[in-house]
Amino acid sequence: MAPEHRGQAVKSALKHAFNWLESQFSRLFTAQCNPLYQLGAMSFFYYWIVAITGVYLFIFFETSISGAYASVEQITHEQWYFGGVMRSFHRYASAAMGICVTLHLLREFAMDRYSGVRWFSWVSGIPLLWLLFASAIGGYWLVWDVQAQYIAITTAEWFDVLPIMVDPMASNFLNEASLSDRFFSLLVFLHIGIPLALLLGMFIHIKRISNVRTNPARGLAAGTLLAMLVISLWRPALSQAPANLDVAVTEVGLDWIFLNPYPLIDDWGPGTVWLLLVGLSTLLTILPWLPSRRPQQTPIAVVDPANCNGCGWCLADCPYEAVTLKVHDFKPGRQQSVVDPDLCISCGICAGACPSSSPFRHVDELITGISIPSLHIKELLPLTESKLRELQGTGRVMVYGCDHGSDFANTESESVACISMPCTALVPPAFIDYVLRKDLADGVMISGCCEGDCHYRLGNTWMNQRFNEERMPILRTRVPRKLVRTRWLGVQGQAQLDREILEFQHYLRHDTDAQAQAISHG
Amino acid sequence: MVKPGQYLGQALLFGLFFLPLVYLTSQPVYLRQDPQLATIKVAVRHAGAVVGECVAAGGEAYDKLPVNMRRPEICPRERSPLRLQLRLDEQTLFSVTEPASGLHSDGVSSVYRRFTVPTGRYQLSMLMNDDVAVEGFNWQLEQEIELLPAQVMVVSFKGGFRIQ
Ligand code: HEM
Repeated sequence: MAPEHRGQAVKSALKHAFNWLESQFSRLFTAQCNPLYQLGAMSFFYYWIVAITGVYLFIFFETSISGAYASVEQITHEQWYFGGVMRSFHRYASAAMGICVTLHLLREFAMDRYSGVRWFSWVSGIPLLWLLFASAIGGYWLVWDVQAQYIAITTAEWFDVLPIMVDPMASNFLNEASLSDRFFSLLVFLHIGIPLALLLGMFIHIKRISNVRTNPARGLAAGTLLAMLVISLWRPALSQAPANLDVAVTEVGLDWIFLNPYPLIDDWGPGTVWLLLVGLSTLLTILPWLPSRRPQQTPIAVVDPANCNGCGWCLADCPYEAVTLKVHDFKPGRQQSVVDPDLCISCGICAGACPSSSPFRHVDELITGISIPSLHIKELLPLTESKLRELQGTGRVMVYGCDHGSDFANTESESVACISMPCTALVPPAFIDYVLRKDLADGVMISGCCEGDCHYRLGNTWMNQRFNEERMPILRTRVPRKLVRTRWLGVQGQAQLDREILEFQHYLRHDTDAQAQAISHG
Repeated sequence: MVKPGQYLGQALLFGLFFLPLVYLTSQPVYLRQDPQLATIKVAVRHAGAVVGECVAAGGEAYDKLPVNMRRPEICPRERSPLRLQLRLDEQTLFSVTEPASGLHSDGVSSVYRRFTVPTGRYQLSMLMNDDVAVEGFNWQLEQEIELLPAQVMVVSFKGGFRIQ
């Protein structure tokens, strides 16, 4: 198999695994609290736990060779009920962050969310991996137990193969007599500096996306803290035997999450591990530009100044901050939207937000202030109308969905019309009003990605808010809510969506209340 | 509305996440080195002898220099590389030539090596040449040593070799 195809197979297998796990998690945690939908936010959460507990530990930590081990022991045992718990939180939250970040990386890869406009988030994520590992390794080093001794010698020998050091770093750790407090002060400085650099990197990482979720759902955060408390009391983080450079490290307990490259350094040699890690990082960095069979991005959104009044709704809804406002080309005192081609992801959410995307306008052609060329609103209207005119019988349903959710190939029937688009939030709420008011359909079903996880980050959130009249443009109050259903079921909810449509049709045909509402709205 | 069964399921998933995580933060134990082996570290940081002789300054160019810049001798800066050899009984553990550091090779040479060897008695000989003008080794240490399990023995240099 060619490498490109092998990569695709791995990605597809990963995607299926994630989709399956996500459905199970949503069942138990609810979609809002599904940790797999907020791995970035969970990583932030764990970072804050590590930072806060780190400040506490630092108060009691002694920055010297003789004091470091003893002070950590004191925190752990004499203050087991608080300092000890803080230490356990510090260690376990770091490890949890390591796992969450790895899953986050794998998931963004599996879901094809790393190329195009997203290259910036992807590429800026890679230094975060190095900084995270460096932060964790630095932390273990400070404890100055046997594991720290192993880390000190192996790290030093690992760096010594680089032709940058005049004096080998490893000669700082020859034996007890050669050890100096000065190196320890440097370590403490690094263990504060590197995590701060990590935080800065985390903010750069999310710089180019809007409405970023950096806090997990409250229920999930609370559950996590509780689980960590139980674990910390049951299995507190402990030191191993104190370091003694006069005795070689033979058997050592390792943190396999962060120290996994170390045994490789022993086995393969430091040079090979540098090659491996730098090679892997380089491969990850260029991944967004490697040939792949992922769908190519369609042309970006275009603004029609004649129909743009500078209301800013598209700007508020764009998930990638691609829209800004400038002085209007020809309407004095007005502004108009501008699309940044480097940031636009062609999702079309902006078109769904545009107040000019209303099919009730008396115009020959529905040209809107902003739209995406691959499915312009002026095409969506005739497409909707033509599909619906072909429907027969009762319980006619218009299904709007997205290319990342269910496949509609077998969903259409003589009473069900389906239109798929890049993101369902491209559908302006006025279209739903129009379809029902003109009696083109008896009900409208909105589907798309899974609840809590939109391929374009915010589509289903904005749709829910528009329907709940919390966000402009709203679905007008006059639209009977019983005739509109939203089902965010994702690609894994294919069968369920088909069932839900049948059930909706049954309801539309037999529920007198629904029929009464349809008549009054029409 | 979250049902009690869901809470149970959540607890299970938290457990499935944290239990392996806690285990992996210290287990399984890694056998880094056979406890029956001992370690020898060689760490030498030493500036080799200057290569070449100073020559008396003079000539036309010298006369054109301002008085405060005239020196009686012009000395080369380059230093000799270090040639090091470590032997245990008849076996050579390593033999290297380490050039002087710096763009003009005028700095110190630093060498660090770590070896693991079976425990026992050995005749250790550490040899060094720090002057290319001299044949053979001009520094050396011969000593009988006994290495114990997991012992770390350091051979360093400060005006002569020493063992710690
Ligand atoms: C300290 C480590 C990291 C943290 C805290 C973090 C956090 C986040 C957060 C909060 C988001 C925004 C989620 C949203 O609201 O949609 C995000 C997005 C993203 N992250 Fe990370 N991340 C980290 C590491 C990484 C790594 C290592 C990679 C991959 C190399 C990566 C790739 C991405 C990508 C591609 C996106 C954009 C997703 C999109 O636009 O749909 N991240 N990250």
